[in-house]
Amino acid sequence: MTDYLKLGLRSGLEIHQQLDTGKLFCNCPSILRQDAPDFIVKRKLHAVAGETGEVDITAAFEAAKEKEFVYEGYNDTTCLVEIDEEPCHLINQEALHIALQVSLLLNCEIIPVTQIMRKTVIDGSNTGGFQRTALIAKNGYVETSEGRVGIQSICLEEDAARIIKQEGNAVVYRLDRLGIPLVEIATFPDIKNPQQAKEAALHIGEILRACKVKRGIGTIRQDVNISIKGGERIEIKGVQEPALIEKTIINEAERQKTLVKEGKSRLEVRKALPDGNTEFLRPLPGAARMYPETDLPLLRISRQILDEARKSLPKLKSEIRGELKKIGLNDEMMKLVLEASKIEELKSLIKIYNNPNLIIKMLVLWPKEIASHEKKTIEDVESSLTIDVIEIILQAIKSKKIDESQAKQVMKEIAEGKSIEDALKGEKAEGAGNIEEEIIKLIEEKPGLNINAYMGLVMQRFKGRISGKDAAEILKKLIK
Amino acid sequence: MKKQVKANPGDYINIRTTKENIEGTLLESHEPDIFLLKLKSGYNIGIKKEDIYDIRVIRKSKPEESSEKEKAAELKSKKELPNIAMIMTGGTISSRLDPLTGGVKWLTSPADFFKFYPELFGIANIKKLEIPFMIASENMSSREWKKIAKVAAELLNDPEIKGIIITHGTDTLHYTASALSFFLKNLNKPVILTYSQRSTDRASSDASLNLQCAAQAAVSDIAEVMLVGHASTNDDFCYAMQGTKVRKMHSSRRDAFKCINSKPIAKIFPGRIEILSQYNKRNNSKVKLNAVFEDKVALVKFHPGMNPDIIDYYAKNCRGIVIEMTGLGHLATKEAYYNLLPKLKQAIKRGLVICAAPQTLYGWLDPYVYSPGRELLKAGINKGKNA
Repeated sequence: MTDYLKLGLRSGLEIHQQLDTGKLFCNCPSILRQDAPDFIVKRKLHAVAGETGEVDITAAFEAAKEKEFVYEGYNDTTCLVEIDEEPCHLINQEALHIALQVSLLLNCEIIPVTQIMRKTVIDGSNTGGFQRTALIAKNGYVETSEGRVGIQSICLEEDAARIIKQEGNAVVYRLDRLGIPLVEIATFPDIKNPQQAKEAALHIGEILRACKVKRGIGTIRQDVNISIKGGERIEIKGVQEPALIEKTIINEAERQKTLVKEGKSRLEVRKALPDGNTEFLRPLPGAARMYPETDLPLLRISRQILDEARKSLPKLKSEIRGELKKIGLNDEMMKLVLEASKIEELKSLIKIYNNPNLIIKMLVLWPKEIASHEKKTIEDVESSLTIDVIEIILQAIKSKKIDESQAKQVMKEIAEGKSIEDALKGEKAEGAGNIEEEIIKLIEEKPGLNINAYMGLVMQRFKGRISGKDAAEILKKLIK
Repeated sequence: MKKQVKANPGDYINIRTTKENIEGTLLESHEPDIFLLKLKSGYNIGIKKEDIYDIRVIRKSKPEESSEKEKAAELKSKKELPNIAMIMTGGTISSRLDPLTGGVKWLTSPADFFKFYPELFGIANIKKLEIPFMIASENMSSREWKKIAKVAAELLNDPEIKGIIITHGTDTLHYTASALSFFLKNLNKPVILTYSQRSTDRASSDASLNLQCAAQAAVSDIAEVMLVGHASTNDDFCYAMQGTKVRKMHSSRRDAFKCINSKPIAKIFPGRIEILSQYNKRNNSKVKLNAVFEDKVALVKFHPGMNPDIIDYYAKNCRGIVIEMTGLGHLATKEAYYNLLPKLKQAIKRGLVICAAPQTLYGWLDPYVYSPGRELLKAGINKGKNA
């Protein structure tokens, strides 16, 4: 077992997560497309002034100058902003709201006035030659079992165009991804061992998934910075999943150990491989040149915007688990309800009839069983067994029209096409004798009325389920 | 804010607010309640002045070195290449972001500008650079057109100069192109106006292709006042468009300028030219400056229900009116509630010159097709073809 403390391991994470909204600086939807593009645009890039006014003649620029960039666009889901033919629009407020939520959940200080910046990018992945980005929050933290890992910064930025192919001097990009909002979360290099890195990544991941973010392959990118005592900083790009972060750091720390011994540790950017190893990508570039997006005003985070983010903060799964435990769910039931994302439904139904285990069966388990039994899709079954239907069934159980044990049968009949009324009525026939008990209960609820008044109440409640004659007989028997 | 601020844009400072200490480079702020700060990370943030407790200057900014020296610096030239001249007048193509202050400013050392466009110098030497003024094109007037024309005429009559490039803001570039077409008589060499729609700090700026093609056109055989700019959204070739037949037709696209009622003179690629229509050939005549312009002329757009009193107003204050008319050249006449004819006749009687132009932009005027057209003609209104 390696002693990482002795090795002087320092590591930080940089996580990019796509948000589930429209684009950041125009009104286009954030949809990745597989069909053929409607048009292409051909562009070149040329050198621009560096920070002090001199021309930035890096090798990268020289390479870019020789290239032709081809951009594929769509008439209905990309616009003039993506092809750099129209000034960007004001920042997407929903994306800003989500970025603020993420920042608050990561205990950050929100920056009240910030400027949207242009970060020079010359690989052609941005039609403008730069990526727009803004610093939203700083100085947060995420808890791990081995202490806090500081959050250095949270930025809201636009995603780049995605590369389709490279043919000789031409690079083909598709514009569908360009402009999708990303939050970039950078931690301080506080992480001291591979296990802690994984824990921090999982925790940040949980926070992100509690907010409105995109899910699935390619929607999150995780980079890891790592160094050991006596060695240089290595940036590892694109670790696929949190589980791999641990393995990647273990392997890189081992590799660095050997390099430091040989005096060969170099600053460099490496690419994460699916097996937890890495390969050389490029030397570490200088700090990116950043200058203001002159087409937009300063971004002011008003008290109102911040309050809205605060008030609507989503709960984390770990918090929800705590709540569900209090309600009295065991782990298995908890898993079911979390997986099916039916927490809100559970909470509202518990208020009607307090038996969470029964409700979870009605919400999650039985619809599945009925679907497979009836050879229907779960969507079909759920469209007839809506939360309103389940609520009516629970009301019937509560008022003892039916028994808990009959709930599944009622649901099955409703899914088969019976009306709710008929399904509940059918149960009555099987559970005969219940009406008398219910009439007793009704008399207990409203004592001291005369027989005609009770007759009215009974007929109102059990309309269609009992004849006037039967009702009169029961009442006569009960009221002497 | 309790203390007087002694920091200037460009200074590296420490700001103490009620909550924290922040270090960074002070930038120019356009919002009076905000100090703008560039952090070490490169990001800019704003700090409300009301939250600031103290500001301490850690390092004063170094003044930008040597613009004087660079201004004087000889523009490098290669013997085998033709010589051209450039006139800079302002606009996006002549501005740059000042990284020290964060503001967008006019170029202070034009030599810097050329560093971004080395391709230009593979086509021609910029033998002379003239900067009569630097303004945004919406601020131009006939005074500026006359200045440009005067400088241009001198350069055109310099035997060492093969052609001229004029860089200019886009908003009114087509007005200047048109004015120069009339001001420069006996044109002997190419006069090229060009621009950029995207600022030059972007690696994607359209200035690069526009300048290369402008240089290509300036050394060509075409002795016309031409606007040279992107033919489409692609960075592949430009059109050379006649100065009197071109107009800005889009507020933001690279190919904003289009020929109206004409074809481009040529397609210009970096390195070659494809002629599309007839042109005046390069020649040895001497350019004569004819920079006369009457400012007291109104450009009035006719619209349905236009009140005739409006004509009265212009008639009292102007010496001529150009009216953008509907269709083939029509205005509301006899059968209209507001008949404009009586006021127009009065104005003409008073000595005003009234001209017609088509508000459709595309197509020619023809006064003989409908009776209102004939009425206007009879009243004494000048109808150019599509003037």
